Amino acid sequence: MFEREPNIDIVFRNGLKNLEVLPPADVWDSIPPMPLRHSRLRVISGIAAGVAAMVSLTLLATWYVRNNNSPVLLSEVTTLDSDAGDLMLDIAKAMPVSRPAEAKIINLISTATPSGNDGQIPVPPTVSETTELVASADIPATDDVPDRPARLFTDEINVVAAGRFDEATKNLKPSVSDLTGVKAAQRFLVGASLSPAMGFSRSGENARLAELINSEKTRPAYTTGVSVAYKISDRLSIQSGIGLSSIGQTISDVAVYAGLSNHYAVKSSYLYSVETASGLILAGNTDLYLTDSKDRVGTLIQGNMADPSKYNLTRVGSDIQQVFRYLELPVMLRYKLIDRKVGLNLSGGLAYGVLVDNSAYTGQGSELIRVGHTEGVSSFNISSQVGLGMEYNISRKVIFNLEPVFRYYVTPLSEISGSLYKPYSVGFSSGFFFKF
Amino acid sequence: MAKDKDIIGGCLSGSRRDQELLYRRYSPKLYAVCLQYAGNTEEARDVLQEGFIKIFENLSRFSHEGSFEGWMRRIIVNTALERYRNRYYLNRVDDIDEVTEPEAAPDTDDFAGLEAYDLLNMIMELPPKYRMVFNLYAIEGYSHKEIGEMLGISEGTSKSNLSRAREILQKKVMILTGVTRRMVNV
Repeated sequence: MFEREPNIDIVFRNGLKNLEVLPPADVWDSIPPMPLRHSRLRVISGIAAGVAAMVSLTLLATWYVRNNNSPVLLSEVTTLDSDAGDLMLDIAKAMPVSRPAEAKIINLISTATPSGNDGQIPVPPTVSETTELVASADIPATDDVPDRPARLFTDEINVVAAGRFDEATKNLKPSVSDLTGVKAAQRFLVGASLSPAMGFSRSGENARLAELINSEKTRPAYTTGVSVAYKISDRLSIQSGIGLSSIGQTISDVAVYAGLSNHYAVKSSYLYSVETASGLILAGNTDLYLTDSKDRVGTLIQGNMADPSKYNLTRVGSDIQQVFRYLELPVMLRYKLIDRKVGLNLSGGLAYGVLVDNSAYTGQGSELIRVGHTEGVSSFNISSQVGLGMEYNISRKVIFNLEPVFRYYVTPLSEISGSLYKPYSVGFSSGFFFKF
Repeated sequence: MAKDKDIIGGCLSGSRRDQELLYRRYSPKLYAVCLQYAGNTEEARDVLQEGFIKIFENLSRFSHEGSFEGWMRRIIVNTALERYRNRYYLNRVDDIDEVTEPEAAPDTDDFAGLEAYDLLNMIMELPPKYRMVFNLYAIEGYSHKEIGEMLGISEGTSKSNLSRAREILQKKVMILTGVTRRMVNV
């Protein structure tokens, strides 16, 4: 049996249902701008995207390696210079080596080569059964000197076949036995690079965002870091490392005055805010008075209580510099289009960034004054990057790289303007790499 | 007039103007809720401010499946409850299991002349423990079990407080309207 509801309840419920009472006027002023938090979903999806990108690249590299495995054993020659006969083969550590298009097979030591088998290299005398062991080598065309015995450096020769030479069939039979005492190949590169860039942004269809972007200038950006590359093959390498990326905007025409704290005691963590394309700058420095003519500056201060002329405040800046720094983990694939002393590389990949610095300053040079920070800047981002660069082999161990780079932010830099704000940058990456 | 969905989208994208629009649109109704629970304007003001901060903080969690106003109202009510718990936890009364029924309730037609403000004032004048239970049960529709969990009291205490609240309110209503006849519909 249902209990009947007392009428008094219904009277109050119905009577109060549409009641509206205007709250005190100052309540709104004491509600701070909406604090933007990174939704868990976004953080998880960002991490997942970064992991997925790395896994994908790893799988791609693995697939490439497996599908380019030659039926014959492949390795690298480690030593061959004036001390002829020092040729040693690392067949036990054999790795697939794709033959460069411009490479050709020559006899390194013609007197030791079995007749009728051009391109086969005898193994060192220290190895047993040397007469049967042979190898074919790819020699980079750049170091080929006609009509003279080739003088070759360790890291310039790739052996593409090695094994025991079968006198009966004249065929090369792959073998990995008996070969010892071999040096490792130079498959790793480690280096440092710096990439200054100019950033750009576009606003999509949003009129207010376009207005904000027009009142901002992109600060020079840069990315610097150390990286390690691994040669999957002669032409293809995978590169990662750790870097620091700095980007930001200059918010023009915001007059900044100092000295407010002498006249205005505050409880709030900030007094002024500045609307920008990247988010809302909250001026945690409550000594500053901010004003502009473009309706970007908001304040918790009522009326003209903080009039700079009234309090004789000192002007300390006419714009605000937003600086965002990200710690980045790039994963890049690099392909050699031209494999010569001066080569050409095509690179592409993703960088996963974590926000480590979010600051806003005013002033010039050493007179910088911290204003506060920007609310709404993504703590994580993923950027894609492609480059077409020149690679110069300074020596056998050192490479200089100069590469125009185009970078595009896949995830929004700002949570406030979301997908409407699309920064990108064009820059030059330059750096030195050491092979080992 | 802008739709709620557009305003919410604007708020989520950081627009202070949309936040203010949202506040201006809903604060009168929500402030009335705050007054119902808070009992005085100063406390209600604080509940409204704290509630709106929570609304903005949690706006991204609103799924657009139910009533937006209802969602905000729940946040305001929870904020008021939280403050009540913090304030009255140490001074709470001992559980009372006996339920005293109100004498009788007048017919709703007899309250036709009552203004919403009169009703609000009556609720605000209730002692906090009665006010909270009456609001949660009669206005919001929670069960005694739920109210007990929310306020940290037993079901019996909730029933007792509700009964006492009704009794007080009926007397006030009768005084205000001049209604003296007893009704059978309890």
